[in-house]
Parts: sequence; C-alpha cells; structure tokens
Amino acid sequence: MNLYEWEAKKIFQEHGIPVPPSHRITKPEELRKVHLGYPLTLKVQVQSGGRGKAGGIQFAQDLKDGETKAKDLLKMVINGSKTESLLIEPRLKIAREIYLSVTLDRSRGCAIFIASAEGGIEIESSTNVVTMPIPYPYHDYVGRDLAKQIGLTGNLLNKFADLANRLYKLFESKDLELAEINPLIVTDGDEVLALDGKITICDDALGRHKCFAGWQETHMLDLSDREKRSKRAGLNLVELDGNIGILCNGAGLTMATMDLVKAFGGQPGNFLDAGGGSDTEKTLEALEIVHDNPKCDVILVNILGGITACDEVAQALVAFMKRHPERKLIVRLRGNNQDVAEKMLAESGLKLYPELEAAVKQAVEQSKVPAGAKR
Amino acid sequence: MILINKDTKVIVQGATGKMGSAHTKRMIAYGTKVVGGVTPGKGGTKIEGIPVFDTVKEAFQATGATTSVIFVPPFLALDAGSEALDAGAELIVLITEGIPPQDAAKLVAQVKAKGAKLIGPNCPGVITPGECLIGILPGSIFKSGPVGMVSRSGTLTYEIALALTESGLGQSTCVGVGGDPIKGMGYEEALSLFKDDAKTEVIVLIGEIGGTAEEEAAAYIKANVKKPVVAYIAGQTAPPGKRMGHAGAIISGGKGTAQSKIEAFEKAGIKVAKTPSEVAKFVAEATKQVARA
Repeated sequence: MNLYEWEAKKIFQEHGIPVPPSHRITKPEELRKVHLGYPLTLKVQVQSGGRGKAGGIQFAQDLKDGETKAKDLLKMVINGSKTESLLIEPRLKIAREIYLSVTLDRSRGCAIFIASAEGGIEIESSTNVVTMPIPYPYHDYVGRDLAKQIGLTGNLLNKFADLANRLYKLFESKDLELAEINPLIVTDGDEVLALDGKITICDDALGRHKCFAGWQETHMLDLSDREKRSKRAGLNLVELDGNIGILCNGAGLTMATMDLVKAFGGQPGNFLDAGGGSDTEKTLEALEIVHDNPKCDVILVNILGGITACDEVAQALVAFMKRHPERKLIVRLRGNNQDVAEKMLAESGLKLYPELEAAVKQAVEQSKVPAGAKR
Repeated sequence: MILINKDTKVIVQGATGKMGSAHTKRMIAYGTKVVGGVTPGKGGTKIEGIPVFDTVKEAFQATGATTSVIFVPPFLALDAGSEALDAGAELIVLITEGIPPQDAAKLVAQVKAKGAKLIGPNCPGVITPGECLIGILPGSIFKSGPVGMVSRSGTLTYEIALALTESGLGQSTCVGVGGDPIKGMGYEEALSLFKDDAKTEVIVLIGEIGGTAEEEAAAYIKANVKKPVVAYIAGQTAPPGKRMGHAGAIISGGKGTAQSKIEAFEKAGIKVAKTPSEVAKFVAEATKQVARA
C-alpha cells in the first residue's frame, strides 16, 4: 500500500524526522486559510511517480497566483492517477540535497540503506549511490557508517546519522517495504528536512498495525473494481486485454497457463490465481469475477490439486454452470479427490481435459468462435 | 537425493491446526517419519497417533528429530522458526504464506548465523519420492528417479513433475523454495547440493518473473555445475508492474523479466523449455546423453 506524500510526512514527523511546515487543501479557496508566507510550493498528491515532470509541482507568488494554480492542479491526472489534494509548503532555500531510503533487498535477503550525497535524483539511473546491508539486530552506529560512506562530515554527519536511524526504526516498526526521503534537504539556515517522502507499507503486515485499519480501501486506487473485489475475496487478479478468462491455483501455474494460451495463439483476458486450498465458495467467486469481464468469451480453468480439493472445485463449477449455462467453459482438473470430481462433472455434462495443453488448445479455438455459439 | 531421506525424522509445528493436522495425516500416509507435533498448551495429547509437545525443545529431545515443518499463521511464523532454530533445528520447512517480509528477513539472519537450512516461506515443501515428503506436495504425482528439481512455484512444480513422471522420468528430490521475495534456500544452495548428489543426473530449474535469482543461478551453473540443467520460466507474457500472485513475481523498473532470465540461461548454455511438456522432452534427451557418456 502506497501512501500519499502528506501521509508519509505525518508519519515521519511522528518518528522525529523533521519536515517543512505544511497545510493540505482540497479546494482552491482553502488557500486563504494557509498562513505560511509567500512564495509557496503547491504539490499535487497523487499515487504516481513522475509528478514533477508532469508539472504537478508549482510555485505561487501570492494568493491570487496560488488560487489560479491550485484550481488547475486539483484537476490534474498523472499516469491515470487522480489528484487527491494539494500539499502547500513554504518555498525553501535549499543549500544541499541528499537521497536516503530503506528497503528490502531480495538477493541479500535483508534490509538495506540506499543513500547518495546527491538528492532529488532518479535513484535507478544515478551512479553516485551507496547501498549498505543493514545488520539485524540494529545498532545506531549503522547510521553513522552510512553518513561516512556517502562522504558527510562534521555536524551534518551526526544529523544525517540520526535521521537514518529514525528512518530505519520507522521502517521496522511499521513493516514498511519502502521508506524514502528524496530529497532530504539542508536549508540555507542549516536545517535538515525531509522535503519529499514516500512510504510503502507491506500489505501482508497490515493486519498487525491497527493504525492502518481501513486504509487499504482508500488506497487501492490503481486497481479495477474486479481487482478490488478479488483482493477482498483473497484472490489474485490481474486484468489483461484478451478474451480468454484464466482461473488457476498457484501463481506459477497461472502464469504458465497464460504463457501457453499466448503460445497457442490465444489472448489471455486476465490472470486469476485462486491460491492454494480454495474451497467451493471461493472458487465460485473466482469464476464469477472472471465471468463478469465483458471482454471474456471463454473461461479456461486449470486446477492441479495439491492442497486444493478437486471435488470442492467441481461443486463450484456445477453451481456456476447452473447460473450461467451459456458460458463457454474449458476445464482441466487433476489431483486430490479427482475421481469424485470427475463423476460430479460427468453428471452435469461437462467434458474434462486431463492434459493441460489439450485444454489450452481447446480454449484458444473456442475463443475464436463467434459469441453465442454453444459450448 | 538431497536434504531428506527415509530416515529423516520430522516434527510438525502447528500440528493441531486445520492445515497442520490435514498435512500431518498426509505426510504420515506417504511414509514420512513424523515423530511429533508442537502446539503450545496441547502437550501430552496426541494427533494422528503421534505425541504433541508444548515446545520444540521437548519435541526434539524426546524424538531425536532435527527437522521441523511449520504450519502456523503468518504473524506467528518468525517466533516458531526462531524457537526451532534455538532448539537446534538443522532443517526448517516453512509452509506458511503471507509472512511479512521483514519477519522472513529476521529469520533468514538467524538461520545464516546458526548455519542451519530454511526452505520457504510460502513454499510447498520438499519431497524425496518414495522416501520422505515434508510439506503439502501431492505425493502421488512424484516417482523416484534421476531428476533433481528446484522451483519457486508450487503447483507449477506439480505440473512439471507430472509431465516428468508420465514420461517415465522419476525425481531424486524436488525442492519448492517458495514464491516470496525474502526466503531461506535459493537456487544456488539447492544446486550446490544437487551437483554433488550421486542420484541426481539431470537438474530442472523452474523460475518465474521478478528479481534476479535466475540470472544469478545461471552464472552459478555455468561456473560450478557440470550436470545438464533444463530451465523453465513462467510469466513470459506477464505485464510489467503487476504482482502475479506471488509476492516476488513482479517486473519492476524493467528488471525481472522472463526475457532477461531466458537470455541468461541460454548464454550459460542451459536449455530453456517453452512449455511444461517440453521440460520432460529436454530432460529425456539429457538423461540419454548422461547414459551415453
């Protein structure tokens, strides 16, 4: 779950990471209530990168200028992401910019600091970057080591080390995937502030952080309605452009099935991984979600039962066919309780494909038959 | 065979839970030496005919086991894994899905410090067909033979094992290392065991999009593994920026594409199958070459 800049900064502040004074507005006229002095910085709050390049950060010389700009900014959509609000801050005089983030490194299997003596940069394309594995358990000397490694000295070394330590503790205590300050600025008055911040909270950990209860509903902005519905049901759905709805159990098998569809000349309409151990109810909801895609012409079900029981899946299929007898359905089902499932489905008149490739070929063929033709 | 065999004694953490008890039963039915269960507060009782203990330490001391399989809920997994390690576990198989990655990282740090082995989290487990099954794999589709398998996916492993078994190609050991970004054993550790295992003649590596583990494995194989390796990568048609089911299956910032992984394998002289059935075909060719050599 990605947070807005204003939310990230609020959390920074709670963890002792200084941020500029700010005010958040959702209407241009609210700018009148902002008493931070001019010139001001107006920043759109969106869940998308590339905000600066898209013109989502503007400066205002006075109230009139500010209201005009706020009106346009509030209507902005960046990469499909709508502006939620504007964050208003005084325009600061920057003496120096630094980059600092904490994230998890898959290859090393541990948390890492990423830092650079140059901030406000695109970290992926920058060369002057230090990556430092973070030891567990943590010690405060690690922050000083990092400051030293990016070449800081004197007072700034200590100030930066303190912030790095606080950022790591925030990262750990709130189960973050990413805590980023870009840029961390030194003002002309020698103040060190987080000028922009990004926080990504690990979805799997949300359940143990009551402070984020209910946030997911308001932060699933890049998901379609069906993707949200899947998330609520504990299913993994990714929307695709084609007309073959795919429902499998297990991420790897779903991807492999999708690849086979494409290799045989078909177009996957979605990726739906029902996960391990899905029961009748969950499988039925999965079928309904795939069915509800208006682009879907045929549903391909590929279940290899490890912890998923084939008879539970078969029950869902029987119920689904009763509801939607017109829907073209190609099913491959193998594994636990396969014989019971086969019997149930034979009674309902559904042909089963024991071989994956035969099932995929049939689904691709069916996807090319005009809609309305019988299953 | 690697990691486990007919003599491996296993305890089950979370043995009295829904998942734990169902799979304890299935592991015993397969022939695995499940010698105890651990559920705090249920010590002294029995499940599926085996004794239940309150702590891992007691379970290990009473049974002589040094392997634990964990079926506890995600937020309890770090504690369960730490308990097993401190009790002297040499091998931990962590089945649980949805463990916060920072917990996984903390467990991995302890595993490394103790020199133990961790398979998972979010994995189907490990099987040495005909001898020992630890986890949730469906035992019936595996058969004993010369093919070693290592995979990030559960059901895709079953698919490919099925294709191998139906082509008459049995497996020495199959290791499902799991689909999470932060995990214990990776490809390299599994490959290092397979390369020295007398029973394993051919190795199958099943990968998927996300991360750079396959690229690293390709380099490791080129430098260290003389046995033939057949690779398969899932997610060749996955769109970038979307998490494809597994927490670790995501193409981000142009990194982690199937294309990059396939190229890395091909550069290292490793055959990459386009479909699960092609894996079986390539393995059959490789076993013939091994037989001729």
